[in-house]
Amino acid sequence: MALAPLDEEITLDQLSADPYPIYRRLRAESPVLRVAATGRTLLTKAALTKAVKENPELFSSDDPHTPMKPAFRAHTLMRKDGEDHFVERKAISKALTPKMIKSDWGPLYEQMAEEYVSRLPRGETVDLFSELCGPLAARILAHILGIPEANDEQMQRWSQVLIDGAGNFGWKPELFAASDAANDEMDALFGELEHKRRAEPDGSAYSVMLNADDPIPMSQIYSNIKIAIGGGINEPRDALATIVYGLLTNPDQLAEVRAQEAWDRAFEEGIRWVAPIQVSSRRALEDTELGGYDIRKGDTVMTVQASANRDEEIYEDGENFFVFRDKNPHQAFGNGPHHCAGAHVARRTVGKIILPMLFDRFPNMSLPDPQAVIWKGFGFRGPINLPVILN
Amino acid sequence: MIKVTYVAQDGSATTIEAEEGTSVMQAAVSNDLDGIVGECGGSMMCATCHCYVDEAWEERTGARSADEEEMLEGAAAEVTGRSRLSCQIRLDPSLDGLVVHLPEEQL
Repeated sequence: MALAPLDEEITLDQLSADPYPIYRRLRAESPVLRVAATGRTLLTKAALTKAVKENPELFSSDDPHTPMKPAFRAHTLMRKDGEDHFVERKAISKALTPKMIKSDWGPLYEQMAEEYVSRLPRGETVDLFSELCGPLAARILAHILGIPEANDEQMQRWSQVLIDGAGNFGWKPELFAASDAANDEMDALFGELEHKRRAEPDGSAYSVMLNADDPIPMSQIYSNIKIAIGGGINEPRDALATIVYGLLTNPDQLAEVRAQEAWDRAFEEGIRWVAPIQVSSRRALEDTELGGYDIRKGDTVMTVQASANRDEEIYEDGENFFVFRDKNPHQAFGNGPHHCAGAHVARRTVGKIILPMLFDRFPNMSLPDPQAVIWKGFGFRGPINLPVILN
Repeated sequence: MIKVTYVAQDGSATTIEAEEGTSVMQAAVSNDLDGIVGECGGSMMCATCHCYVDEAWEERTGARSADEEEMLEGAAAEVTGRSRLSCQIRLDPSLDGLVVHLPEEQL
């Protein structure tokens, strides 16, 4: 067998501006492709991405050269395999279960959503992305994690800086300088709050991890909270903005979603259509093959769930937003051992609380100029503005 | 081939034939059965393949592991003594005819 073909035309700028036409072409012509600009072998078919994610014995999450390490000042669970990953994940996932979200936290989230939605002005153009999607995601997450003392601006800034650092494959020193500064701020806050979260257990992630019978080391507690900050703000923010855009540009579907109260289906379709986390990396631990091509030990493959979610073999008309598909087995939350630990939280907060509330309070919300919405991102993707008129 | 019957909340039953060695979750997902999601693909990380083993089959399907017990805490629907993660039940000839009941919700 041969190595996958090498592409030297595709640029990161193209992928960031609009990767979907490229992915559609790759699915048809070259679903296993070494893309020089990424330094990775891109996998764009659903069967391939799923197979890789579900085979951690062969495709490791550990990347010895990941910029995540300096960005988080830690070797985080995202880049661990097997038992090491499992122990760390289990420590935090207890705070993220549907039960916890429903019974302990549900009313609080309702109240926060109510508060943030209520302060939006009626009858004028509002950038929903910056005025609601980001701040509300930040506030809810701060409570889930047990750091409500951090304000919305801090949470959003930390999240962005951590993400930028984790994606700093060009090793630009200024990005690590920014993540260092953010880590200092976070470490200081976590240190200040430790005693209180220990003394007054409240079901938040920090408190649960501190008060566990067999707690993980403090450094891992910190890095788990940081991973959740990096992975728990931009994603629900982008999901919410994407779904609102999808519904406002498809009024017939919005009417049907209202009639059926199918907000959960709208949520699933939004994250299928534009997955907030578009790609993941895995390193081959042995020589192997994928889709008829050799993958060498040590090579890094990139599973493109953004593309898998539009794969023609699974979806009819996958390029378009359509809430009422028969089946929607999307990979937006990933597969395998690293399946998103925040999936339940996202589904319940965005899908069951925020979306219905927003459309209930502003039944005539409109998007006067869909063309004005700018979409951006290769690793993480969503609209970066959403100018709506609230009525 | 081993037969598994999945009983939905409304009482409707679907019987699927699966190969020995596959899990109850895989058998459902590969046959597009509604009611079992199995989003993480069987890594015991998502609790979206929750099922209730029929009383008659409880002993033969065996006990839950500690990790499974812990993951079940994350199930969306009510967890009972007969709750299992269907990705953790491997089919063998002794389970031919197994009956499991599906929960109200998985997500």
